[in-house]
Amino acid sequence: MISAEYLLNDVDVARFLVNGYHVVEPDLPAGLNERVADRLDALDANPGDAITETVPELWQVLEHPQVKGVLISLLGEDYSVNAHRHWHCKLPGSGSMQWHQDSTNNRGTQIDRLLGLYYPHTITADMGPTVIVPGTQFRNAPTDRMATYTNIRGQVPLTVAAGSVAFTHYDLWHGTASNSSSVKRHMIKFLFNRASENSAPTWNHDPEALNRPRDWNARDKAEDAGNILSFGNPLGVSQSDHYKERTIRRACWDELIGQKSAS
Amino acid sequence: MDTDNQTRQRLLYLHARTPSVFSEILGYTLIEPVEGFQVEISGGEFAWPYQTVHDALVEGWQIVQFPHLQSPFSDTDLDVVGYEFILQKLEAIS
Repeated sequence: MISAEYLLNDVDVARFLVNGYHVVEPDLPAGLNERVADRLDALDANPGDAITETVPELWQVLEHPQVKGVLISLLGEDYSVNAHRHWHCKLPGSGSMQWHQDSTNNRGTQIDRLLGLYYPHTITADMGPTVIVPGTQFRNAPTDRMATYTNIRGQVPLTVAAGSVAFTHYDLWHGTASNSSSVKRHMIKFLFNRASENSAPTWNHDPEALNRPRDWNARDKAEDAGNILSFGNPLGVSQSDHYKERTIRRACWDELIGQKSAS
Repeated sequence: MDTDNQTRQRLLYLHARTPSVFSEILGYTLIEPVEGFQVEISGGEFAWPYQTVHDALVEGWQIVQFPHLQSPFSDTDLDVVGYEFILQKLEAIS
């Protein structure tokens, strides 16, 4: 069991369903990020899935309660750390990487896998940050169909503090900017899987979370789960797309609270 | 070959919120017809040159392909972001 203080709350979960990502800055032991970055700087070959054997300090990130708290909240108590993980080293002078998903899109209403992106040093805009597009996680659009997009409304460069972990929905569109700095940009990508369906919420849930009346005046400024799920529109999509998003989000929410949607 | 003042096709992919040229642009890709040109996702704040497709028309861009609206439509599923307009400018690029 993990202390409830590390679990997400209803607003966090609603925002994840709307935006497709959640960033934490775990309170890691002093010097850990620097040791990881130094080890990565010194590597001359990519060990692939064995990166956690080459840099065993990475397990301290995965086992941090703030990291586990997010994973339990979104994937359940019995989530698993997938054996696949990868070191992404973006060299100085390397260009932008186009929008993609890591596999075929598998859009369903269950949150069954997450990516976790750990950055051992602070990422600035010129270092080739990962760039994500909040709100794209429910789009049934394979990577080929993204090839004519470059800059997209609402895109978020992950210019984050050292030690940050960005959890993203597996199908969230992501790419990178170019690295025009003089330093290597490191990111370790982890994959996490759901092992079983929820029979109850696995975060700090208030059964009244969705019972606030719809507030048409608050819309994107909503601070409660119900209104966030109803009105969040990070891409600024059309009304018809927005209505479809709303239905999909609600089906996801219902599965997460252990109550499958009637549809 | 003397390439000075050769007319070339500049391309602009704009993904608009709706099929209307007056709706807000959600996606922007400019392709310059010069060797080695590469597109670039911004690592910072992207400055949008146009807010709508109509803004680009005002600047002299011409639409060469309108969004395809005959494709199968789903009332429940989502696919790509916005409606794709492809525009061109034929200009002498030195």
